[in-house]
Amino acid sequence: MKNKFSFDEKHKFLHKLEELVKSGVSTENINIFTPYPVHEAEEILKVKPSAVRLFTLIGALTGLLFGFFLTIWTSLDWPLIRGGKPIVAIPAFIIVAFELTILFGGVISFIGYLFLSRLPNVEKISEPEEHGNQFVIHIENEGKK
Amino acid sequence: MKPKEMKELEYNQSLERDILDALRNPRPIFWLAVLVCAGFFAIGMATWVYQMLKGMGVAGINNPVGWGVYITDFVFWVGIAHSGTLISAVLFLFRAKFRNVFNRSAEAMTVFAVMTAGLYPLIHLGRSWLFYWLFPYPNQRQLWVNFQSPLVWDVFAVSTYFTISAIFWYVGMVPDLAIVRRYASGIRKRIYSILSLGWTGSLRQWKHYSRLYMFLAAFATPLVISVHSVVSWDFAMSIVPGWHTTIFAPYFVAGAIFSGTAMVLTLVIPMMKIFRLEKYITVDHFDKIAKVLLFTSVIVTYSYIVEFALAFYGGHKFEEAHFLYRAIGDYRYLYWMMLFCNSLLPLTLFIRKLRRNILYLFILSLFVNVGMWLERFVIIVSSLAKDFDPYNWGVYVPKWPEVAITLGSFGMFFMFFLLFTKALPVLAITEIKEEAAE
Repeated sequence: MKNKFSFDEKHKFLHKLEELVKSGVSTENINIFTPYPVHEAEEILKVKPSAVRLFTLIGALTGLLFGFFLTIWTSLDWPLIRGGKPIVAIPAFIIVAFELTILFGGVISFIGYLFLSRLPNVEKISEPEEHGNQFVIHIENEGKK
Repeated sequence: MKPKEMKELEYNQSLERDILDALRNPRPIFWLAVLVCAGFFAIGMATWVYQMLKGMGVAGINNPVGWGVYITDFVFWVGIAHSGTLISAVLFLFRAKFRNVFNRSAEAMTVFAVMTAGLYPLIHLGRSWLFYWLFPYPNQRQLWVNFQSPLVWDVFAVSTYFTISAIFWYVGMVPDLAIVRRYASGIRKRIYSILSLGWTGSLRQWKHYSRLYMFLAAFATPLVISVHSVVSWDFAMSIVPGWHTTIFAPYFVAGAIFSGTAMVLTLVIPMMKIFRLEKYITVDHFDKIAKVLLFTSVIVTYSYIVEFALAFYGGHKFEEAHFLYRAIGDYRYLYWMMLFCNSLLPLTLFIRKLRRNILYLFILSLFVNVGMWLERFVIIVSSLAKDFDPYNWGVYVPKWPEVAITLGSFGMFFMFFLLFTKALPVLAITEIKEEAAE
């Protein structure tokens, strides 16, 4: 049996993929390459949702806490009354904490994405792996099925 | 978009060819345009150096009008940035498919506009080299910044905005850079290989990519609203008549998206014509963007009315006097010109024929750009020119360094955009493919 299939069109590719999964090929052994994200393929292969969301959550919470920590701690470090307002002026600090929530959330999600999808890939940078506009199914470890 | 009889592979390949053609062999006229923009940029930078050497006295700003053209430019450029995020993030979350042909150039516009905007507070500082005092860092004097000051909020908002916009732009571009890599050769291939990080298009990469893209869009949406709100609070937190009003945040956000949408049209229409992308950016797409422009124009007009209504209904003598001054005082011509450009002229977009006339949209977008610049100028300058104490009144007229630096910033912005069109894919290729397949 062949272990590499490539298709010009999405629906043919999805059809074959479904067929392969039904015929008992373990989804773990199937590698696919597509020119754009194909969400139907994710359903067929029953992939787990991306773990990027964990990074996003942790990043956003870290940013929020850091925002409040930074503003409150620096204000208490030199307790100077400004504009007759309380030293720890929470409403004003919310804005800084809000911006840092987004900053940390975004940056850490990006780092998480790079880590999870194994980018940048030095090997592939020096020798790019191209699939053009083909939808490719690649089956690994065929013996083990 | 995709003709029915065309096979998917065929369409995808012709799409790649068309868009990558735009990247090839710049004509002499392109280099001439870059040169002109770079010339303006250089003049602006030289003027900034002159201002630093001579002191802030060379600019027209003085008491009582301490915020003039520089702050106007800052607000203008931050505003321009906003519609880039609207198109790329908000319309993405709403699944508005027409964004696909605009989002790449709109995001590029966002990044360049924030870069331009970020220069203005530094230019305005006078002692620009001390700009890092704005950041909270441990220092010998054990001083921290004042987190109750809107100017410090600005530092956080604008730097976050720049970082997130740049990440968003880059993440969406990686799969397209991998396409450019495939067609390139020699040193260009090396560069695009590095930029595309070794992208292969595997299931794992696409899975994490889609997730990240959605999260970034979800972050960028509240961010864009917060950034211009913070910019508006630079004014609204004070007690100056004309500034001290609660409508400022939504008013500024709507204005920002309005001006930015106009700038998208100003940039994309010539780009489409020059690179012959009519096949992808169709009249229907422009029709939809024109509707966004019309919608935001109406919100901005409503805000103008509310501002006046609040002043006269509020029973605050100084507010009343200020708004009368705005309409019939020293800056009245600018004010009425602003109303013409921002409120009256865009109403013509109710006519479908005009919405679908590309040349008309281009000319209109130039008027809106002018009108929105004037809006910021009128708000900032007229409020300071006449506040409470008659002894403290004055009229501000910009001097040549302010004009030169403003022109320089336009040169910088257009120079970056021109270079972008020749260095990076101007349309989001993978997104157009995905849409065409559906």
